[in-house]
Amino acid sequence: MEGSSDAVFVARVLRGDVEAFRVLVERYRDRYARYAVHMLGNREDAEEALQDAFTRAYRSLARCEDPERFGAWLFRILVNRCRTIGARRGRRAKTFVVDEGALLDAAIDHPAESSAWREEIERALQQLRPEQREAFLLKYVEEMGYDEMSQLTGVGVSALKMRVMRACERLRELLSEVHNA
Amino acid sequence: MREDDELKIQRIARELREPVRTSASLDARIMRAVRELPRHAQASLWARLTTPRRVTIMPLSWGVLAASLAMFALLGAAHVSQDVHRAAAPIAKALFPKSDKAQPAQRVQFVLVAPDAKKVAVVGDFNGWDASHADFQAKHRGGGVWSVTAPVPVGHHRYSFVIDDSVWVADPIAPRAADTDFGVPNSAIVVQQSQE
Repeated sequence: MEGSSDAVFVARVLRGDVEAFRVLVERYRDRYARYAVHMLGNREDAEEALQDAFTRAYRSLARCEDPERFGAWLFRILVNRCRTIGARRGRRAKTFVVDEGALLDAAIDHPAESSAWREEIERALQQLRPEQREAFLLKYVEEMGYDEMSQLTGVGVSALKMRVMRACERLRELLSEVHNA
Repeated sequence: MREDDELKIQRIARELREPVRTSASLDARIMRAVRELPRHAQASLWARLTTPRRVTIMPLSWGVLAASLAMFALLGAAHVSQDVHRAAAPIAKALFPKSDKAQPAQRVQFVLVAPDAKKVAVVGDFNGWDASHADFQAKHRGGGVWSVTAPVPVGHHRYSFVIDDSVWVADPIAPRAADTDFGVPNSAIVVQQSQE
């Protein structure tokens, strides 16, 4: 049953089986946590965004027009939650703090050198403008096409290409600075 | 992009594609939040009867119900049918107020400054978010100013501008709608009944 399509669990939830929603949570939690952590730069905000996205998805589940693509619909909600939480955090503090817990986790799986490289990348990523970071993550990490990104974000393809290009330039620049320092 | 530049970006992307762990308690927190929400309406009768739920009883509600029952008892069986029929209309009106969407429409002017646009349309819950709706195609008035005046039903609405059939933008001079979950941010508008 766990291997069934999203639509099966969406239908069960809509029939009143709240616990069926847990399968959808387990299915998408880790996959989308990656986007939220990279977008927001710390695990606390990322988990808040994930919890918000899941609860909003549950509340509006009857509005999910294509339950087979529940994951894509949920991702759209998450992208918007990350924007909102990111904007709120931006107002709260202009500085960023790389999440120590996330780095600790990274260090568990990776040797020290790799962990340091990952830390540098995270720092550089958080220095991008939010719209550039969003476009870069969707393109290179989530491996989406520009049309799909445009549908998801409501931004035109040419503007997205420009954001990705600027993000790549800035990342290369920031990471070269680190290596040349 | 040069080949070594692209390789560097691919290396960064590969690192960022590594899984990220969440707190062990995240699932439990999400499910706790979900259980606090109302159960979906399509719940089967059996599920609704057999699943424990928290019920909040407000003394005032019970008082109103008791008063209503007493009123029906006093009316007497002979008059019930006629009186219920007569009373039903105002009660129904109070419980289920007529939807704002059924109210007459008012003409509303939408204005957007978009100097580089080739086409601007207004989409909203009042036109089914249809960017091709004939009544909501803005005209260029010169100087990058686009506007359209169209009928919008009385009530609360959400809307956006669509530039060149692809870029959705909220109205910069209108309040943002709270619900931005399903796409780009929208603007909010309240159309009021004409005072005439």
